[in-house]
Amino acid sequence: MTSQDPPLFEDLPGDLLMWVLIISELLIFGAGLVAFLSVRLTDPAGFAEAQAHLHRTGAAMNTIVLISSGYLAARALEWRIALRRRAARLALVAAAALGCVFLFIKGMEYADKAAQGINWETHPFFLFYYMLTGFHAAHVIAGILLLLLIAWRDSVENIELGAAFWHMVDLVWVLLFPVVYLLA
Amino acid sequence: MSMLNSAPLTRAWIILIALSALSAVAAGLVDAGIDRRIMGGVVLMLALLKARVILSRYLGLWRAPSWRRGFNLSLTAFCLTLLGLYLAAGNT
Repeated sequence: MTSQDPPLFEDLPGDLLMWVLIISELLIFGAGLVAFLSVRLTDPAGFAEAQAHLHRTGAAMNTIVLISSGYLAARALEWRIALRRRAARLALVAAAALGCVFLFIKGMEYADKAAQGINWETHPFFLFYYMLTGFHAAHVIAGILLLLLIAWRDSVENIELGAAFWHMVDLVWVLLFPVVYLLA
Repeated sequence: MSMLNSAPLTRAWIILIALSALSAVAAGLVDAGIDRRIMGGVVLMLALLKARVILSRYLGLWRAPSWRRGFNLSLTAFCLTLLGLYLAAGNT
């Protein structure tokens, strides 16, 4: 390292602690997904049969909802930097509203499973399904509250921090969705 | 200021939508008789690409190439681990 090189963490956009949180969350969900596929080794046919009860279309729609919400959060930061505070606030509220759409679709999915008499004791697949998607949904709820908070307290630093948390929720979902819903 | 150029962000969003649509199509092809192992690999590769776009454009790692490289390498290793576990179950 030469004297001209910037310190390692100076390179990183946003707050260092947020990146520590993002990496921690990725490790937690990553371990969950590895455990899921490891347990699947013991009963691939049972896992495939259980997975057939999931509503892939709803989950795919939720992917579109979350990445669009993430886009709005990212645009909000750009708009706030450009001093377009009203546009930034509206984008954050719209991003939070899309988060609520995600939860609504997820709630319908859970209600459908309950109507079929499926719960976490039905099969190990569903234990992982409820743990992973439920923990993720809890992050979505926290993210929605955070988005609304930064729409209110809209400094550039706050928006950068809150949007980064929301992108982490998005990032976890794009890895979780194919493993739980698509890899039969 | 390049950060305020919204075109790359909009392009990233369109790419994410396209990759999500491709994932749905790939998963559907299994029902049409395409080998599950191949589609499993394709679905995980598309997930990896989506994660890379989110890290780079949404989270702004395009401004920190060394960090982006580190994240991309770790995510690739993670997806390869997932693929290995998926294939080890002996899908036919």
